Amino acid sequence: MGMGEAWLLAALPAGAFVILLLFGRYLPRRGDWLSIAAIGASFVLIFPVLADLLDKIDASGSLPVPGLSGWDWIEYAGFNLRLGFAVDQLTIVMLVVVSFVALMVQVYSVGYMKDDPHYGWFFTCMSLFAAAMLTLVLADNFLLLYIAWEGVGFCSYLLIGFWNEKRSAAEAAKKAFVTTRIGDVGLLIGIMMLWRATGTFDMRDTFEAAKAGVMSEPYLTTAVILMFAGAVGKSAQFPLHVWLPDAMEGPTPVSALIHAATMVVAGVYLVARTLPLFEAAHPAALDLVTGLGLVTVFMSATMGLVMTDVKRVVAYSTINSLGLMMVALGSGQVAAAMIYLFAHGFFKALLFLSSGSILHATEKGDVQELGGLWRKMPVTGTVFGIGVLAMAGIPPLSGFWAKDEIILSSSQHQNAFVYALMALSVFITGLYMARLFILTFTGEPRDRHAHEHAHDAPPVMTVPLILLAILAVVAGFVVFDQVGDALGFPGGIGKFVFLEEPEAFKFHGDVAAVSIIAALAGVLGAFYFWSGEARPAKAAGARFPAVYALWKNKYYMDDLYQALIDRVVLAFGRFIAWWDRNIVNDTGVDGSAALAVYSGFRLKFSQTGRLPNYAFAIILGVVALAIIAMIVFV
Amino acid sequence: MIPMQHFLVLSGILFSLGVYGVLARRSAVLILMSVELMLQAVSINFIAFAVYLAPEAFVGLIFAVFVIVVAAAEVGLMLAIILRIFRNRATANVDEVDLMRW
Repeated sequence: MGMGEAWLLAALPAGAFVILLLFGRYLPRRGDWLSIAAIGASFVLIFPVLADLLDKIDASGSLPVPGLSGWDWIEYAGFNLRLGFAVDQLTIVMLVVVSFVALMVQVYSVGYMKDDPHYGWFFTCMSLFAAAMLTLVLADNFLLLYIAWEGVGFCSYLLIGFWNEKRSAAEAAKKAFVTTRIGDVGLLIGIMMLWRATGTFDMRDTFEAAKAGVMSEPYLTTAVILMFAGAVGKSAQFPLHVWLPDAMEGPTPVSALIHAATMVVAGVYLVARTLPLFEAAHPAALDLVTGLGLVTVFMSATMGLVMTDVKRVVAYSTINSLGLMMVALGSGQVAAAMIYLFAHGFFKALLFLSSGSILHATEKGDVQELGGLWRKMPVTGTVFGIGVLAMAGIPPLSGFWAKDEIILSSSQHQNAFVYALMALSVFITGLYMARLFILTFTGEPRDRHAHEHAHDAPPVMTVPLILLAILAVVAGFVVFDQVGDALGFPGGIGKFVFLEEPEAFKFHGDVAAVSIIAALAGVLGAFYFWSGEARPAKAAGARFPAVYALWKNKYYMDDLYQALIDRVVLAFGRFIAWWDRNIVNDTGVDGSAALAVYSGFRLKFSQTGRLPNYAFAIILGVVALAIIAMIVFV
Repeated sequence: MIPMQHFLVLSGILFSLGVYGVLARRSAVLILMSVELMLQAVSINFIAFAVYLAPEAFVGLIFAVFVIVVAAAEVGLMLAIILRIFRNRATANVDEVDLMRW
């Protein structure tokens, strides 16, 4: 088992999906064990693949050629498409996050989804998602990546709308699918543009071609910006972020897996993977990545301050994190983005799964009906607190190291304005994450009834939470070269994941100090604003009603889009419908038929039905043809 | 040797006679006979061209045989139809048969 067999990682969940789809209902326990076994096996099999990769790195001492696996798929007249899987360092990081979080989430789901009537279908979809996501990560060419990209989008649609008898869930699924599709069209066009210019879908060949200057700069820039549109949709960046908060209508394990740890970071992964293209293109492309990332960070953080639904706040924090990763990528820092992605996968899945536990225990998801839950749910409260501190960036939790790396890269590679905004965002993040914890777990319960029945979840749910909490604490330490060396890696994650040259973890005291002070100020500020009766917060809300309304209404983006759909899309649709009904159908189709009927009716009176008339007409015709032939040919 | 034009003239006369018969006659049987005349005129034409222009090729002669075979089959069919019409309408005069009229 080495890199050559990497296709197995994706094939195992795919096989589980097929078996569950066809025979799931006949299996004991609806086949949940099969789904978990498949993703568990994929997780375990990463290690031999990783060992093989490390051997190759040691042998060559530099960036090795990625280990290829898979087969030729379509070969036609010089056009060659591989069903190809490639393993390199970037892939390994994604593989670990995806398969570990998927495993934890599926185990947790055994408890969370226990009494659901569509229990088996849930695990079927989860297996399909795991297969598609692992394919996306492993794909060595753009076309396979795009197929997997749509595959995860489809699974996301199925799982957001898992409780599709609920209208809001069905609407949210539709919204997510349509919104991400807007970006996906861009991605597809971008891939086609690259293929048209280079004649290959293979990523590495495309990068070489871009470096060699095969494409003109405006052409390449257009192509990468279109590809970035795909990332904007999938990773919920401004202005296509509106689907992610609504996606919380799905079951909480789905939110944890798909809408926090894995699928939404596919956009980040795409940009990280294709960064050589961005670097070969006009600098405006990367500036666009940074700019949209910053806007996203700010909008999501401020909206997170006023939302009251626990899962929605965590969803906004996810958008916030994705924005941070985009800012890091915009600075060209793949390592920083990937460290954050790695750490984020764990602590965000932890936050979602513990929100799920709250929902499971109290059947309330709004902080206005929660409060004081720590006493009733000590395990959930503790792990949620760890997740909050990690997200806020309090040392030495994983979020701090990851976030510090991003802020450092923004301070070194961007201007002071970006740096200041990043520091401010750390403060706001601390503020709203701590607010969420305070409102949920401390103070007096606002709903006595729900509070009385609250209790910690069964072990099948708490064990994944505890494992994720441990990782949320320690995952950040992989930035240190010493830790990497101890684990058998060539240095820390920064030296492991790189595209151009190895990058050791840098720790600048002043940047770290700013980050720590901002985060602590945020967390402590939250205690001032929201603890107890939360009077200062209410006063602030009353003092600036316009700002409060702006944030509460999500910057009116949903309303804007709704108006756009009503006024433009539907109006255009009505015109098309009118055109189809009146011009195409009534005039074109029915009209031509009516014309034939009418002319037939009129012309039939010219028929006598007598043989000599027809014989005479035939002979006249022949004579006429003969005359014409004589004129033409003689 | 008789020149080819003689055969062509003969075939032209036969064909014209056939056309005249088809147009002028009212009896269905006579019309059928006129049609046969036209067909045989065409056969003569084929054979004449075959013998004079391409003596080695066999095509024209084969064509003539085909025409005769098809004509024989057609006569059988047409006589059957005429018989049915006569049974139904007690006439074989085509002027009195206008079943195809609207």
